[in-house]
Amino acid sequence: MAENPIEPIHQFRIRDIVPFGDVGGIHFGFTNSALLMVVSVVAVIALMLLPTAQRRLVPTRMQLISEQLFTFVADMIDASAGHEAMRFFPLVFSLFTFVLFSNWLGLLPYSFTVASQVIVTATLAVLVFLTVLIFGLMRNGLTFFRLFVPSGIPWFVIWLVVPIEIVSFISRPVSHSLRLWGNMLAGHIVLSVFGGMVVGLASLGVFGAIAAVLPLGMAVALTALELLVGALQAFVFAVLTCVYLHDAYHPVH
Amino acid sequence: MANPQGPVGPQGKDGGQSPTSDLAARIARAQGERPSADKPASVGAGVTGASRAYRLVAEFVAAIIVGAGLGYGIDLVAGTKPWAMVVMLLIGFAAGVLNVVRSAAEMNAAAAVPPGTPAVEDDDDE
Repeated sequence: MAENPIEPIHQFRIRDIVPFGDVGGIHFGFTNSALLMVVSVVAVIALMLLPTAQRRLVPTRMQLISEQLFTFVADMIDASAGHEAMRFFPLVFSLFTFVLFSNWLGLLPYSFTVASQVIVTATLAVLVFLTVLIFGLMRNGLTFFRLFVPSGIPWFVIWLVVPIEIVSFISRPVSHSLRLWGNMLAGHIVLSVFGGMVVGLASLGVFGAIAAVLPLGMAVALTALELLVGALQAFVFAVLTCVYLHDAYHPVH
Repeated sequence: MANPQGPVGPQGKDGGQSPTSDLAARIARAQGERPSADKPASVGAGVTGASRAYRLVAEFVAAIIVGAGLGYGIDLVAGTKPWAMVVMLLIGFAAGVLNVVRSAAEMNAAAAVPPGTPAVEDDDDE
């Protein structure tokens, strides 16, 4: 660990907490990233199960939070994917709460932002993509491929439109994952750059310490912004999941 | 409003009434006051400009990457070195524009119409 901890990229380093050793040249281990994933999942489960255990008619504050979270996602599915897509409520709710909690927990000092690794967001996006593809094919059969053939198109344009639609469809998981990843990565780098400025200026003596107030204020404001961005990106991720699920139900457009 | 003493009933100060007796009426009234627009749509409309820009950029770039990647793959398999990639890259650009137009249309549909907007016929062709 010789590298400079002030360097903005340092926070994204994956470290082993419990190494499992190498299997076939691939390294396995319980990392800080995995730890934060487990913590996020445990936090979601605790929030949903503990306050609702008593099922009060007049909810306590924590029960109200979990109920509001539930209704929020249910309304979102209803509005974006249609009521019949409610069978995907567990998927959308898990995605939303997992991304939300891991984003927020990633803001704590010494923790790790799970969504700052593109492999994590890509896995989530591919999960959604394959769900839409497989369920769409199961439900509609080959009619699902009407998704690539917009209605009312003359025959001589079809051969050009269909490849474009296919590329557009395949690009969905890419943009789905890139957006979440890019937002979290950029936000945390900016935050870390301002934090590093505070440390650098404060080490320059009295005047430096006075000047360090400016980046410190910036870092405080950016932390608030990151809370917003984390929630917003979780919301956008879940809404786009709903929009894609809508296509699985209504491939003809 | 099935509760007969709901609208004119005591607001919880009078004795003899349990605090929850007119709760149903109050909830019904509060729900009537709430704007009828869906919550997710109004949250989506409040999205900051930067995140909309991010979304559009991601849609555009993703389609180009996918187009170029598909073309490269076809080239590797078919051995038509540059041509599939050239064609698929162009198709990727077209798909990117399509993605951007679609998500912009979605954002427009989700955003509330600003007050004072003259009524113009919608020439949306989607």
